[in-house]
Amino acid sequence: MARSVPLLWVPLLWVLLPGLAALEPLSVGLAIGVASALTGYLSHPRFYCNYVECCPRAGQRLNASALKAQLDNRLFGQHLAKDVVLKAVLGFSNNPSPKKPLMLSLHGWAGTGKNFLSQILAEQVHPAGLRSKFVHLFLATLHFPHHDQVKLYKEQLQNWIRGNVSACPSSVFIFDEMDKMHPGVIDAIKPFLDYYEEVDGVSYRKAIFIFLSNAGGDLINKAALDFWASGKRREDIQLKDLEPLLSVGVFNNKNSGLWHSSIIDRNLIDYFVPFLPLEQRHVKMCVRAEMAARGYAVDEKIVQEVADEMTYFPKEERIFSDKGCKTVQAKLDIHEDVVMGDTKARG
Amino acid sequence: MKLRRGTLRAALALVLLPLLTPAGAVEPISVGLAIAGAAASALTGFISYPRLYCYFRECCLHRHDPRAAGALQGNLDNRLFGQHLVSKVVVKAVRGFLNNTNAKKPLALSLHGWTGTGKNFVSKIVAESIYKKGLQSKYVHQFVATLHFPHAHSINLYKDQLQSWIRGNVSVCPRSLFIFDEMDKMHAGLIDSIKPFLDYYELLDGVSYRQAIFIFLSNAGAEKITEVALDFWRNGRTREDIQLTDIQNALSVSVFNNKNSGFWHSTLIDRNLIDYFIPFLPLEYKHVKMCVRVEIESRGYAVDEDIVSRIADEMTYFPREERIYSDKGCKTVDAKLDYYYDF
Repeated sequence: MARSVPLLWVPLLWVLLPGLAALEPLSVGLAIGVASALTGYLSHPRFYCNYVECCPRAGQRLNASALKAQLDNRLFGQHLAKDVVLKAVLGFSNNPSPKKPLMLSLHGWAGTGKNFLSQILAEQVHPAGLRSKFVHLFLATLHFPHHDQVKLYKEQLQNWIRGNVSACPSSVFIFDEMDKMHPGVIDAIKPFLDYYEEVDGVSYRKAIFIFLSNAGGDLINKAALDFWASGKRREDIQLKDLEPLLSVGVFNNKNSGLWHSSIIDRNLIDYFVPFLPLEQRHVKMCVRAEMAARGYAVDEKIVQEVADEMTYFPKEERIFSDKGCKTVQAKLDIHEDVVMGDTKARG
Repeated sequence: MKLRRGTLRAALALVLLPLLTPAGAVEPISVGLAIAGAAASALTGFISYPRLYCYFRECCLHRHDPRAAGALQGNLDNRLFGQHLVSKVVVKAVRGFLNNTNAKKPLALSLHGWTGTGKNFVSKIVAESIYKKGLQSKYVHQFVATLHFPHAHSINLYKDQLQSWIRGNVSVCPRSLFIFDEMDKMHAGLIDSIKPFLDYYELLDGVSYRQAIFIFLSNAGAEKITEVALDFWRNGRTREDIQLTDIQNALSVSVFNNKNSGFWHSTLIDRNLIDYFIPFLPLEYKHVKMCVRVEIESRGYAVDEDIVSRIADEMTYFPREERIYSDKGCKTVDAKLDYYYDF
């Protein structure tokens, strides 16, 4: 057995020997040098990150003007939310060493733009937006559906957050449907949100947590109605008018998901961002934007028709849209024939 | 001993290897095999080319057939009777959705109405116009509440299974069609479990649901619709005068508050995730006669007006005094036909 092995090696060497003669030191040295230079160049972050998504480095700042432009052009009727979010996010991003992760709690009626805003935000931090592997979206009804498995969800959530923040410190976590989430689940991430420098060797200070919920929406609507009834302009509503009543309302609301949660108790939420209900003029802006996005010419008659088809509350005054800007696309499809006819006539 | 012989043979082969000159490699059998192999791979490549492959087997559509909408309109006009609202809305909704390359959410249609008025029929026609094989397509999924989700105590299991099923199928083919029948018999919490898929999300766990279509069929709200239709009739207005807006708002609220609707206090209506509530009006005497005529023709017999009237007269109508609308719509018409045409 031991003898057959050298027997095999000899003819093998004899076959390869002619090839070995081609090994010329200079050309081989050059080839190895070029290969290593190429590898080094390719793995350099600035080149590499053009093709594969990388975690933003510590020094990268948010582009303030880009964020402001996006918010101005795409989000309608939320002057409060725009203000607060712009200041909060820029302040956080420009701070070289924040003391705790940024926590925004977005509250408001359905269709007012909460998911939309969090999407715009995520896109500024990570260019790929919601598709980025550093942006994580959790839905209470989808990811934490069963109330009897809260313990399992807690553990999994903690591991997930820990793992992802250690991979990329500036991760973004979006929790949607907070009003449907079991109150205990959110307490599980409280340690990550506090003023710690490091927890088990991982620093969470550069992460961003966004909570979306409908809780408090009725309170905001009431406040907006009061403003309207007293004749004041919508743009005069200040954050200080809403924030305290919002925080208490959400804290005491059994369905809010933050119910008696230690997150509010400890004042860990940095900003409560209220979303006001949308008026008819904002609905028209949505319709115009949708028509422009589809490439049709904007026809004011159709815009008015679609806006009229939406339902408004309160019943008599009919000021605020029931569904915000939702179902606008669907209604546009019904009127599409007229639109298509128009565009065809114009050639 | 054997081992030594084997290694000797291998060594011999290796030694002889360098003696092979290039000319020696042109050997008829190996060249023939090489050519056959090349031809086989070329053929495989040709066959797997999508445009050819999809001729014989069913593929997932990434760009829909523009003739689909036209076929849908034609089918609805010829085969669906007495539902002027339905044909208008369904065609526009489906066509607009299919044409929209940048849909923000999946299409969710809710078909409500009296029994026998054509709800299943319309969903069948929609499926046939989008998918070649219609309801038999592997991308069309039909759920019947009483059949697939019968037991109230297993609701957690049903929720998990339904979510996995939808997630799995939409990741395979984004343009999938899901039909939920007997919504009024479905447990209220079950539909909440698919709410995330109907919402305005770009991606959920890496899967985009924005191209899927969900159709919900139910009898809920039928009384409200009949009320509206009767009002119109009593005021002497024609059936075709009934507009969508007359019914839609009344319908949405009544369905939301109806304990049996399956949507009862559901987040679907709460969040306005249903794109269109489509009402099916109860069928009148003349529509029943149209159904009978179509059935007779489809069996290949000559249409005898006398028999058509007799069959239509046999159906029961409501309200008791006026006797305008058929109780069962067009159902049991073909059974009655067998009685008259005994061959």
